[in-house]
Amino acid sequence: MRALPGAVAEAVLVAVGAALVGLVANALSPVGLSLGRDYFPKASAAPPAAEPLAASPKTARGGASAPIDRGAAVRRRLEQRGLRVIAGPEVVGWFGEAQGAQGLTVFIDARNEAQFASGHIPGAWPFDHYRPQLHLPAVLPVCLAALRVVVYCAGGECEDSEFAAVMLRESGVPAANLFVYPGGMTDWVARGQPVEIGPRGSGRYREKPR
Amino acid sequence: MNLAPVEARANAWVDVLAAGARWCAAGAFLYLGLGKALHPVEFLKLVRQYGVLESPWLLNLTAAVLPWLEVACGALLLAGVAVRGTALVLAALLGVFSLLVFGRALEIREATALAFCAIRFDCGCGSGEVLICRKLLENAALAGLCLWQVLHPRLRYCLRPEIVPRATGRAGTAPTRCANNGLAIDISHSEK
Repeated sequence: MRALPGAVAEAVLVAVGAALVGLVANALSPVGLSLGRDYFPKASAAPPAAEPLAASPKTARGGASAPIDRGAAVRRRLEQRGLRVIAGPEVVGWFGEAQGAQGLTVFIDARNEAQFASGHIPGAWPFDHYRPQLHLPAVLPVCLAALRVVVYCAGGECEDSEFAAVMLRESGVPAANLFVYPGGMTDWVARGQPVEIGPRGSGRYREKPR
Repeated sequence: MNLAPVEARANAWVDVLAAGARWCAAGAFLYLGLGKALHPVEFLKLVRQYGVLESPWLLNLTAAVLPWLEVACGALLLAGVAVRGTALVLAALLGVFSLLVFGRALEIREATALAFCAIRFDCGCGSGEVLICRKLLENAALAGLCLWQVLHPRLRYCLRPEIVPRATGRAGTAPTRCANNGLAIDISHSEK
């Protein structure tokens, strides 16, 4: 046990040194975080899964990450953030309208690039709000010109659509035109809607499960 | 009958096992740390789920630094540099992680009424969505490997096992150079 004090002193040195390495690595990394930025603007104080939520009998699979009917809790949180909720049937209807009238409804995919490429609502614009510099210049003019902007992410516990919508609103998109689709891709796929894969406008679609 | 050679051979095997354990722990931390370091945004979201850090700056700092800290510690363990200090840091981190994961699992159990060991979620540990009991066992095993490095009297196959000189032993001087062809350090005499 005589080695322990030395080990503790060594541990302090290692922790400080490794933390400094971490800071430098993060600064040099192309995907590094910006330390001063608030990535979760107006975030609710409580983590979402800590809320007492009722699992949907149709969708719960026994795991905490199973799709959950967050209904009222999500609506309440979105209203507190000044955002409007849109349900699956309305989104499907708007999607049908959007096919005939260009720019009437714009769909914004708030997931990361890999998730977007693996499948998104046809014609949706990628907008990873954690890296706005890559997407905002292209997305913002489209949103400003649209009558309705529908923001979605994966659904379930995903909150990225809410943060993306807040960022769009703060960038000038009228709140009256902004809608969050909490069901997200999970709900969209469950409704049997088409899913485009690859980049936006690729024209390639995922085969529907039989 | 002289038992010294037998004992020495047994010690040598234990030392080899300890070195193997060190490399296993190093590999685990390199793998888990790199997985998080290359996807910091995903890790940031997972850290936020715990609801422990309210300040955005602290949250970002934790998500930015912690994965690289694990990678650096894994590399130190692999090379055999500052072994006891590094192992102590990792064991302490594992202790804190396990407490947080346990607390979060309890929250999820309250929200979903699932059996504790049926709870699975992505704890931000770098291994994706896992059953919580399994994760806690893995953490305990890894912490055990790290504590073994802290307490094992001889460190073999190390580049520089200590960077802080220990308190002097009974002999008056602590060994600062590795014994046995420069690859091992033996503190057993100072443990007596």
